Amino acid sequence: MKTSEKASGKTAEHLARIIFLLAVLGIWEYVARARLLGPRSELIFPSLEAIGRAFLRNFSKGYAGNSLWIYIGNSMKLLLTGLLIGNGLAFLLSGIAAVNHTFYSIYNLVISVCDLLPGVALLPVVIVIFGVKSGVIVFLVIHAVLWPMSRSILDGFMAVPMIYVEAGKNIGLRGVGLLFGIYLPASIAYIVSGLKVGWARAWRGLISAEMIFGIASCPGIGLFINQMRTNMNNAEMYATLVVIIIIGVIVQYGILTPIEKNTVKKWGMAR
Amino acid sequence: MSEPMLTIKNLTKTYQDSPEQPKILADLNLTVDREEFLCILGPSGCGKTTLLRCIAGFENFEGEILVNGVSRKEPGSDRIMVFQTFEQLFPWKTVEGNITWPLKKTGMTDKTERHRCAMEALAKVKLADYAHYYPHQLSGGMKQRVAIARALALKSEIILMDEPFAALDALTRRELQNELLTLSAAEHRTILFVTHNIQEAVILGTRNIVLQKGGKIIFDEKNTLPKPSTPSSPGFAEVWQRMRDAIYANENAE
Repeated sequence: MKTSEKASGKTAEHLARIIFLLAVLGIWEYVARARLLGPRSELIFPSLEAIGRAFLRNFSKGYAGNSLWIYIGNSMKLLLTGLLIGNGLAFLLSGIAAVNHTFYSIYNLVISVCDLLPGVALLPVVIVIFGVKSGVIVFLVIHAVLWPMSRSILDGFMAVPMIYVEAGKNIGLRGVGLLFGIYLPASIAYIVSGLKVGWARAWRGLISAEMIFGIASCPGIGLFINQMRTNMNNAEMYATLVVIIIIGVIVQYGILTPIEKNTVKKWGMAR
Repeated sequence: MSEPMLTIKNLTKTYQDSPEQPKILADLNLTVDREEFLCILGPSGCGKTTLLRCIAGFENFEGEILVNGVSRKEPGSDRIMVFQTFEQLFPWKTVEGNITWPLKKTGMTDKTERHRCAMEALAKVKLADYAHYYPHQLSGGMKQRVAIARALALKSEIILMDEPFAALDALTRRELQNELLTLSAAEHRTILFVTHNIQEAVILGTRNIVLQKGGKIIFDEKNTLPKPSTPSSPGFAEVWQRMRDAIYANENAE
């Protein structure tokens, strides 16, 4: 009885969401068809059909002879490289900070300062130093991931219950053994939340950097959307926004949620 | 005469950050024989838990603690601790993993042997069917059983138990006391068991001591009642009364 009540509550929730979504799309379509915004209406509110066609056209035709797939591929390549290096560095440096007190206090300061610097604000400096290369975008992704991830890992280490540490010491674990055997798994909830924040920042940083300066040698989604704007292909612009949302949803529900399900949730460390 | 399992010489413990603070343990001397089941009682704050934590190597201390005649200052798997809190199992490991992983870390390299040891220990605490559960899926009593199984599997000569049953309901507590009694008779381990409960001490202990504030031992007696004993066993009430008097005399003296 209780569970069926809960289930029907869930269904009602889903239904409400679907109705809301349909209503938004309905209003959009009405504004588009009725040309409520006058002569520029078509540019600001292209019809859903136009956006749908543009969506398909993005992938079949694309821009400058390259389909959107190529742009997505380029963006993903840079993003993954940055995420891997950024997260790797975060684990390495936080690990050193966990065992060395001097390094910890310095690293803490560095995190606090760097975390406040928006990646895009660093862009001019980075370009001056490295030139306009795809490495610049990787650098920004690393910058977006490294600091929040390090902060999460260190906070997680601090919050590890003393009892796990003592149980670990009791079976003879010391130093690095304690770090990998106890501190890392015990702070998994913090690490997962760091991954989420890091991913979100990296994704935003990547798109903005690509928009501000697109690299011809490695054109990404941000560049694509900007080119659509300059060419007044507004339907394509909206369609690309949808693509960006879809990629975000895939990462959230295809990667991050399963990670959470198989660690924190499975181990009863979070509801 | 063989060497005592555990020898504590002039153990003194203060918390350094407050030198004005009276000593938690002052010049404590204690010898525990092999296979003894030593129950440690005393009012709150008398230093029972601190004594256990010093033996486990979790605290800095002055004096000397010898296991088999060898000085010990650091934690080690020869003195395994069973804590009061249910949250002493690693939540990211299954029940079996909570035993096999410590075995691996203490040098058991053969995987099938680890599995066999873990299952044997789990069978001893009647949890063989729960090997693949995660700790959060177990009740408090089951978690304490797993912690005991972990200590058994590790073949620790000394098992330190810090009120392991204090947070359990009366029924489960009685059940676990009985199991521990059977296990201690069969396993040939030396057990140091801190408790607040006089009855628990009389049922379990082969020797009972009472600490006063500052860690002074004011009662030290072999418990010769035939086991298993119940409150209705002849002699039980007398032992209980003597220990109660020792604890209360100490409290009235303050």
